[in-house]
Amino acid sequence: MAQGFLEDAVRGVPSIRAVFITAMPDCLLYEAWVRDETDWVIEDVASYFGDLVRANRHGLKALGSWSSEMQTTIESADTLVVLKEITSDFVCGCVFERSAPLGMVRLQLKRLLDRIIANLPSVQTEERPRAARIVDFLDRYAPDPHAVLLRVALRTGIPLESLRAAEGLSIEETARLEESACRLLGLKQLNL
Amino acid sequence: MERVNGLRSLLASQDLTFLAGVPYVYHCHHYNLFHDQTIDDALGEELGTTVRTRAAQNAARELLQAIAARLGAETPIEIIQLAQDLFAWMGHGTLKIDVDATGGRAEGSYLHYGYSWTEKYGARVRRAHPADAFAAGFAAAATELGWKLPPGSMAAVEQKCLVLRDAGCAFELRPGSPVAAPRLVDEAAFASHVAPSFGGLEEETISAIADGLRGFLRGVRGDERGLVQAFSVFVTAHLSNYYSETIYEAVHQLEKTQPGSASVAESLFREAGQVCVFNTFGNILLSPEWEGMVGAPTGDPMNTLAGCCAIARGLGFGHWTLHAFSPKELVLRASSNYEAPFYLSRYGKSDKARCYIFQGAALAMMVLATKVKWTEHPKLTQEFYISLFRGKIPWKVRQTQCQTRGDAIAEVTVSLG
Repeated sequence: MAQGFLEDAVRGVPSIRAVFITAMPDCLLYEAWVRDETDWVIEDVASYFGDLVRANRHGLKALGSWSSEMQTTIESADTLVVLKEITSDFVCGCVFERSAPLGMVRLQLKRLLDRIIANLPSVQTEERPRAARIVDFLDRYAPDPHAVLLRVALRTGIPLESLRAAEGLSIEETARLEESACRLLGLKQLNL
Repeated sequence: MERVNGLRSLLASQDLTFLAGVPYVYHCHHYNLFHDQTIDDALGEELGTTVRTRAAQNAARELLQAIAARLGAETPIEIIQLAQDLFAWMGHGTLKIDVDATGGRAEGSYLHYGYSWTEKYGARVRRAHPADAFAAGFAAAATELGWKLPPGSMAAVEQKCLVLRDAGCAFELRPGSPVAAPRLVDEAAFASHVAPSFGGLEEETISAIADGLRGFLRGVRGDERGLVQAFSVFVTAHLSNYYSETIYEAVHQLEKTQPGSASVAESLFREAGQVCVFNTFGNILLSPEWEGMVGAPTGDPMNTLAGCCAIARGLGFGHWTLHAFSPKELVLRASSNYEAPFYLSRYGKSDKARCYIFQGAALAMMVLATKVKWTEHPKLTQEFYISLFRGKIPWKVRQTQCQTRGDAIAEVTVSLG
């Protein structure tokens, strides 16, 4: 990765506030640039954006209207967020000033994404073990994240130390972990 | 319900509180939800709900029987009315019970557990099982007493619940299987399992504040919804026998069937104590009522620790004293708490320490005393809790003396590493 390439990529894009690049499928922060000082937890933002794009992809596939060119635009009170799956391995979330005209944003976005894509590695991202991704998912979404590993340990009988090194869990333990995660989150299945 | 206020009593010098001779304490919704959640984590939702409902039925039967006897409520309608009023007075919500000797239905609105779960977690996760086992057990106990039925002869199941996105809560009551009444754990039983009272650091201050807090709490009762909203939390006057029975039944079950998991459950019950101190004690310390009664927290660790001991006493948790404090170590001692007397009365002696709430509370008190900038009036949010407690605590807590193990007093030591 070219260090600081986002700093160069956003040059000449006046309404941009932040860029987050999320490595998929683990939804981990790959790189970020934020214009002003904020109290954002950039790792969390990158993860949530990754989850959002994945959920969007599943939803559109269920409707039979997914295409790799799709992008998601969110207009919130003070920001305009555009999320795009730029390669099979990366999602890019661009946060613009809310006051920026949408047409201008689209124009700037294309230029910005071209520059970003040119700097992303072409190697295939290594997928982490499913158990580790489930633990990360719980950490982000469980109601009491401070207690979630203890709760899972109690529900599954898997020792706490093993859950802390979840990549080493067996297939059977991973299945128990996943079932427990579904119950804790009230989900029928985890779309990881 | 003014007559019920007159049935409050205090075990002299032990800071244990009773309603018609039945032990009760104050706990907030953060604690209550975490407590019930841990029971279900330990036993699974189905058995967890059964254990919670049965404990509620046992504790509520004891309370309703004692209050009905003292207030002269005898007929079914008098007892059902008393139960409904008492339930709301305690801050558990509104419960309408429509039953006869063969069962019937009950409807709940603003039930403490379901309502506060929805407020706290509803936007975040979907829940698949109902939340109001306490209300179910309470309604069953009221029905049994109203129609002079033996314990266990009425069973209540929550069929609709706010947490399941139903419009309200509804319970079906139907005949159950009578069982022997569990051993009574009342004021006399508690009195036989406490040590002679003693003082500690800041004793006079702690004692005076605890008296003031108890006086304040005498005026606390459910509002028109049957909820008590105070100190930025939902508060309940709750039966400590409910907490203790559910905790010990769950831990005993694990000790028998999955011994490796018992210590995990104990950790979570300790965490429940932390949750209680952070949310309830912390919000009381930051409240205008506290400022009016005691003054705003100064941020001095001894000021915070003394305040926390006073709050524990005021809420009916027992005679907690500050034995020693340095930034490296905190030692709390208690001649009484609400956990050990229940254990000894119901199960006899234990081979290990069993006061999980006392243990977790001590650790949280150390954190609140040394890590929180009270003069900056922090907001006690979930994020702040995580920033304080998650993986960053340099101290460990050990219960160094426990009455359930045969020691004269309860003592917990919070020390580095």
